[in-house]
Amino acid sequence: MPKFAHISDLHLGANSDPILSRFEMEAFNKTIDTCLEENVDFILICGDLFHVSNPDLQIVDEAVRRLKQLLDKEIPVYVIYGSHDYTPNGTSIVDIIESAGLIKKIVSGKIVDEKLKLDFFTDQKTNAKIVGISGRKGGLDKEYYEILDREKLEKESGFKIFAFHACLDELKPAYLSKAESCPISVLPKGFDYYAGGHVHERLETDLPDYKHIIFPGALFGSQTRDHETSGKGEKRGFYIVSFGDSIDEIKFVPIKVCEFLFKELDVEDRNSQQAEKLLTEELESIDVIDKVVTLRIKGELSGGKTSDINFSILRQNLVTKGALTVYLNRHGLKSKEYAMIKAAGEDASTIERKLLQENLGTIKVSQDLLKGDKGLRLALELLKILREPVKSGESKQDYTERMREQGIRTFQLKEVFSS
Amino acid sequence: MMTENSDICGQIIAGEFTKILIREKSNSKIELGDLLVAGTSEGYLILQVYDLIYGSQIPQPMREHLSGMKLEGIGSNLGFVEPHLRNYVLAEARGILNVTDRPRSPKILPDFFGTVRAITPDDLKFLSMPTNPIYLGKIRSGSKIVDVKVYLDGEEALRHHVLVPSTTGRGKSNLIKVMLWSILDKKKFGILVLDPHDEYYGRNSLGLKDHKHQKGNLLYYTSDPPAGTNTLIINLGSIDPDHLNGIVRLTDAQEQAIRSYRQNFGQNWMLEVAKGTDIEGVNRTTKAVLQRIFRTRLGIRINEEGNLVSINRIFSDSAGESTIKDIVNALENGKIVILDTSKLGDETELLVGSIIANEILERYQNYKTEGTLQEKPTVSIVIEEAPRVLGHEQLEQSGDNIYSTIAREGRKFQIGLIAITQVTSAIPRDILTNLNTKIILGNEMSTERRAIIDSAAQDLSQDDRNIASLDKGEAIVTSIFTKFAVPIQIPKFEDYAKSQNSQNSKKEKIQFTG
Repeated sequence: MPKFAHISDLHLGANSDPILSRFEMEAFNKTIDTCLEENVDFILICGDLFHVSNPDLQIVDEAVRRLKQLLDKEIPVYVIYGSHDYTPNGTSIVDIIESAGLIKKIVSGKIVDEKLKLDFFTDQKTNAKIVGISGRKGGLDKEYYEILDREKLEKESGFKIFAFHACLDELKPAYLSKAESCPISVLPKGFDYYAGGHVHERLETDLPDYKHIIFPGALFGSQTRDHETSGKGEKRGFYIVSFGDSIDEIKFVPIKVCEFLFKELDVEDRNSQQAEKLLTEELESIDVIDKVVTLRIKGELSGGKTSDINFSILRQNLVTKGALTVYLNRHGLKSKEYAMIKAAGEDASTIERKLLQENLGTIKVSQDLLKGDKGLRLALELLKILREPVKSGESKQDYTERMREQGIRTFQLKEVFSS
Repeated sequence: MMTENSDICGQIIAGEFTKILIREKSNSKIELGDLLVAGTSEGYLILQVYDLIYGSQIPQPMREHLSGMKLEGIGSNLGFVEPHLRNYVLAEARGILNVTDRPRSPKILPDFFGTVRAITPDDLKFLSMPTNPIYLGKIRSGSKIVDVKVYLDGEEALRHHVLVPSTTGRGKSNLIKVMLWSILDKKKFGILVLDPHDEYYGRNSLGLKDHKHQKGNLLYYTSDPPAGTNTLIINLGSIDPDHLNGIVRLTDAQEQAIRSYRQNFGQNWMLEVAKGTDIEGVNRTTKAVLQRIFRTRLGIRINEEGNLVSINRIFSDSAGESTIKDIVNALENGKIVILDTSKLGDETELLVGSIIANEILERYQNYKTEGTLQEKPTVSIVIEEAPRVLGHEQLEQSGDNIYSTIAREGRKFQIGLIAITQVTSAIPRDILTNLNTKIILGNEMSTERRAIIDSAAQDLSQDDRNIASLDKGEAIVTSIFTKFAVPIQIPKFEDYAKSQNSQNSKKEKIQFTG
């Protein structure tokens, strides 16, 4: 019986931490190994094969070698763009790898009379008919769905797969409620399989008129939230789908490359000293050996400042105890002094300025540069720099370096760093 | 101010403050509900006719005699000499507005023996368009339309609630459609419509979906969504025991039990009740009754394979996690959200509304605490057959629910109701008086008219007959925000929509990049 592998959101190159970067590639390799072992007829990647459209060449090199192996074994790899590896001008790494004949983009169609008419791509070995819409940044693919000629697609006979890289309103996790998404009704009805990507958590469900809607979730995870989710027990992996005239079996294949641990610690109503003591004690008791640890610390301190807590020591202790790497999420941690400050204004920048002004008044600093109006100017300047996005064609490393340089310049610390 | 002889339609001949008697000029055809204008020393009074009677100079015995002769075939040629002078119509009217430099409620009578004329648009120049208008129609004088547009001040009216009392077939959904169409692209108000007849979106006919700016301003949730609209599917995890308050009747023991389930299973509590999972402190009978309530009233059960079955496909344990948040986000962004509840049972419909209303109220209470509420649009919930949640009986038996809470204190948080009912008398007086704008459509039931009149913002004590005679599309707007009870003619939605949609808008060309 024919079978295919459905993978999505590999985000190769997303993790800058060397340990996680290694695991990320290991997850990819394990997936390819499994596909070879299972001898799938084809692989369908529903977007975000790479984390950016122009990833680090070392990553590309490793991925290409594995894709070549699949080609040699006559296992075609069909892809759609994801929101991360998409470029409108066809210069994404996905396009280059396609030009080399290692993968095949299956999105094809044109707009006729204000309707998007998509063409089916038929897999020669299995006769599976695949059609899909790539993901675009900022949910711009939404307009394609709105003008999609669904009737034409629904009329097509045979075993049909619809590939997409989008969040669906009905299946969106609550935490993504503000994310761009579209209703399921924009997809053509009656396909045998809806191969989704973009959502980083696994989901398999049916909705009226739409059977077998599957999101494999991120293969490894590209952001702290993903690692948190893995730490809460989310299994990472992909699907192998057996089919004839219709679906026979949908099997989730877990890909485990490391252990994750997630811990949430609440320091509500403790002062900074008590909070640090509590955190030290709590973290002392957990087993972190060979685990990727994500910690979420929340609560409002009754006294002291969040910066009084020495998080780098806490982190270091965990690494010393054997943690592979440690992520600290402190967004939910506030100190009373900060929490009580309220600012009103006409626009975001005014409010931002007022908040900074108020907060500066609550901190004791020795450097003149950080005090009063000077401190305010410096903070605003720094915020402005940090808001700058990655330039087109700029690598992550170049971006980090540019940010670093500008930061050093703003803080007037050039001499310190050059010596 | 008064006026060419040809405009005159009558003359004030007698009366008192609430009953001014006008002798109609022959062939003037004064109608019930007509707005007439009579002069005063400082300006003019707008009068409204509330009754019509015959007047005659000929004593009744003589008229009876003459009639008998004609009917019995003796003297078929007999008639009155100068009939227009001897027989006429007398109109009973009352002053509804004294227009001087500042329009106000009348405290004077018009000039005695002064003439009256039909109202013209110039007489209503003082009616200005509010900043955030909701279109209702045009001024109506009797059955004649005066070319003056009538708007509600949306900002004030919506948060102080609107009641639309009407019997079937008098045009209430037409009115709501006109109102919603007029504000659809303004992003000033978030409107949640619980639509039990699936008539507002226009799935198979002209509806709000046909508004040229509907994209991005209108959301439609239904269990059977047309392309581009949303599936009405709600994750059981979004439901809290509080949402059932006053919607699903529960005994104290049952209420305690569902709270225990909530405590034990968190967001999965409903699923565990449906499964019949045992927990400490809940006896088997209570558990079984709760399962039955979920099955019969909310259509939730567990099948033999242990999977959740939602009979009307609205509840799920895997999908619809963000539906409530999406809807509330849309309302908070000034959009109109229509929920097609035509396939849902009463309690399911009200529960869905309750979940959303609770979420929006909670958010808006937080915004108030933060001091940011004023930046948010007013939200209003359109609810049909309002006594289901606002009625005496419902409130007495099940206690307060989120709708009655909103009716009583929603305005502090910029949340209002647009309550539609055929049975105004079923709504308690303290709630009725909180519904500060009433758009009264025709009603043939005298008890209902009495309830409406008794709770109106203006004195409608003499309008009973007027209300009874309102034709389809005719209405009277009484509100603490209008200067008088305004008679209006609501346009036919189809005509209004077509006239508003006539201008072409340019479509942006989309490039497909693959």
